[in-house]
Amino acid sequence: MSSSVFSVLSKFVAEYRRSTPAKLKVVDAYLLYILLTGALQFFYCVLVGTFPFNSFLSGFISCVGAFVLGVCLRIQINPQNKSEFLSLSPERAFADFLFAHAILHLVVVNFIG
Amino acid sequence: IFKQFNLNIFTMILLALALGAQALTPSHHLSPADLDRLKAFLNQPFTDLESAYYSIVGLSKLGIAVSDEHAACQFLKSQLDPSNIDSLFFASEASQALSGCQIPLSNETRDLLLAAVSEDSTMSQIHRSVSTLSSLGLPVASQEVVSALTTRITKEDNVLAIILALQTASRLSQQAELGGILEEIEDLAARLDDLGGIYLQFEEGLEATAHFVTAAYALSDHVDIEPPLKEDQVVQLVNSVFSKKSWDSLSEAFSVASAAAAFSGNRFHIPVVVTSQGPAAVSHRQPMLQLQVTDILSQPLPSISVQVESAHAVASKSVVLSQAPFTLRDGIFELNFMDSQPASGYYQFAVAVTGDSRLVANHVEMKVKVSTEVAINNMDLSVVDKDQSIGTKTTRVEYPSKAKTSFTADSHQNFAMSFQLVDVNTGVELTPHQTFVRLHNQKTGQEVVFVAEPDSKNVYKFELDTAERKSEFDSISGTYALYLIVGDATLENPILWNVADVVLKFLDEEIPSVIQPKNLYVPKPEIKHLFRDPEKKPPTVVSNTFTALVLSPLLLLFILWIKLGANISNFSFTPSCILFHLGHAAMLGLMYVYWTQLNMFQTLKYLAIIGSLTFLAGNRMLAQKAVKRYRPGC
Repeated sequence: MSSSVFSVLSKFVAEYRRSTPAKLKVVDAYLLYILLTGALQFFYCVLVGTFPFNSFLSGFISCVGAFVLGVCLRIQINPQNKSEFLSLSPERAFADFLFAHAILHLVVVNFIG
Repeated sequence: IFKQFNLNIFTMILLALALGAQALTPSHHLSPADLDRLKAFLNQPFTDLESAYYSIVGLSKLGIAVSDEHAACQFLKSQLDPSNIDSLFFASEASQALSGCQIPLSNETRDLLLAAVSEDSTMSQIHRSVSTLSSLGLPVASQEVVSALTTRITKEDNVLAIILALQTASRLSQQAELGGILEEIEDLAARLDDLGGIYLQFEEGLEATAHFVTAAYALSDHVDIEPPLKEDQVVQLVNSVFSKKSWDSLSEAFSVASAAAAFSGNRFHIPVVVTSQGPAAVSHRQPMLQLQVTDILSQPLPSISVQVESAHAVASKSVVLSQAPFTLRDGIFELNFMDSQPASGYYQFAVAVTGDSRLVANHVEMKVKVSTEVAINNMDLSVVDKDQSIGTKTTRVEYPSKAKTSFTADSHQNFAMSFQLVDVNTGVELTPHQTFVRLHNQKTGQEVVFVAEPDSKNVYKFELDTAERKSEFDSISGTYALYLIVGDATLENPILWNVADVVLKFLDEEIPSVIQPKNLYVPKPEIKHLFRDPEKKPPTVVSNTFTALVLSPLLLLFILWIKLGANISNFSFTPSCILFHLGHAAMLGLMYVYWTQLNMFQTLKYLAIIGSLTFLAGNRMLAQKAVKRYRPGC
């Protein structure tokens, strides 16, 4: 069983390396970074407790929000999804991404205390 | 045991029932002071014909005349309006009460009055016209009136109207058929509200109740048939009418005066008021029990005799007196109770007033107190040794002198006192309610009070065990003045007697501390506020480690990006491009400044400025990029 999982995984990774455009890989790297940061924050909280709770929340939500916005951006600039986003150009997607981030940052910094 | 218990319960219930069934006696009546107040209130100067009517007729019912009869008559004549039935009623009734006052009469007046007697007039109009006709001496068609009244009763089925019907019927000829109207008295009596078994009144109020009394007795006297009112109801009506001692209006005072006259002068029920002259107490100095027996107007009742049916002691229930008559002297009924040689205490008297078959509430229960003087005999003081129980010396002290020597008692000895309390006049031993022994320390002001108890032979004994009682004295040794206090409700001479001085010696004497008065108003100790303990923070090492750890993925990101070949080689140095990047960097910088220094409002202000700049620049830049994308090689 494990061998089949491993083979599926290695096939998936190979396929990913081959067929994904570079732009998307850049975004994927960014998403991975966000994910790791969020996971580390959560781990720290589990370890030492939730004081100060507001700081933890804002940091964690910042990671979650950034991840979500990143995923949105990736979906929107993926050429394979062009049919669904006819009126939305990648530039526009990026502009939306930046604007949403500005608001997210504002809220996070407000809450971080 | 249970049988005895049940028997006791049974007798108690019977006793309770018997006591409850005792006759009700008036709790309110018109005392001479109340009567004077009522007369003064009625004797107001006249404002109009109606007030003149109330004053004149009310006072005449109480048996006195208005101050100036002639002026009153002139007033009536001047205020009279011959075309108004009410005006005629007030004037004619009032003129009847004055002597030598005649109201002028004309044919029109008579016709007006006769025309008012019909089924279509209101009850009030019928009542007033019939009364006017009768007081002016004019003939009245009684049967017509009766039928009109009967019709109006069914139409105006309220209490006040029926009372007026009763009053009207009492002015008619005795040959008329008044039976139907007479029955209304019973119906009205059923409508009275019983309040606590003491008061009986209409919900319409005092005036209605008083008018009912007047009307019922007026009609009953007229037809010579006893009204269907039970004794208790009569007494309850008396209570209701006379419970109010100051009256709001002339009409109210008038109704009370009429009711008072009815209660004291009718042919069937005369309520009796028995009050004692002063407190109901006798003693050797005051051996006479004095009673006043009057009607509710506080007037003496002619030809009555008063006697004690039975008198028994409350405590022992033994009958002391039976069928003893009171003697009448100067309007007061007297009885020399001390002749029966009663012991001191309380006695329950059952007094009966006889002589007139009309008397109501003529059996009265009263409590009489017999007081006496007490003497202290055989006051013996001694100091007894605890071990040997032999009195070292017994000193006899005579009241009211004080013992010449003081007594000393320490922890091995007891101080003992014995005495007898006897009635001065009869020599019988007494057990008053209060027999206290008070020890007073003159130096510290401390006092301790004990109770002296009688033994089976009614000899009072008091023993002070110095060792046992030292806590009451706070172990303060010294000279204490000993007082004997004797008191009771039936004693005329309560006693406070400084019998002797006692020197008490206690072991473990504490320094006599002056008793600190509790000072409640000094500043209290300050309460220090305890702030909430700050939460435990993890050690700095851990947080620093994790900060580094959290920043590490950034490093990974850059590595990945480089590996992927992300670069900024396509960076065009267009102004909008530069401006966009600068603006974006400024926004991020603003976030940092917001975290450290600014508040939301300031941040929003700056953000708006920078944001709009960035947006414009960015829009430009992205548009250029898009164009470049569609036209490669530009």
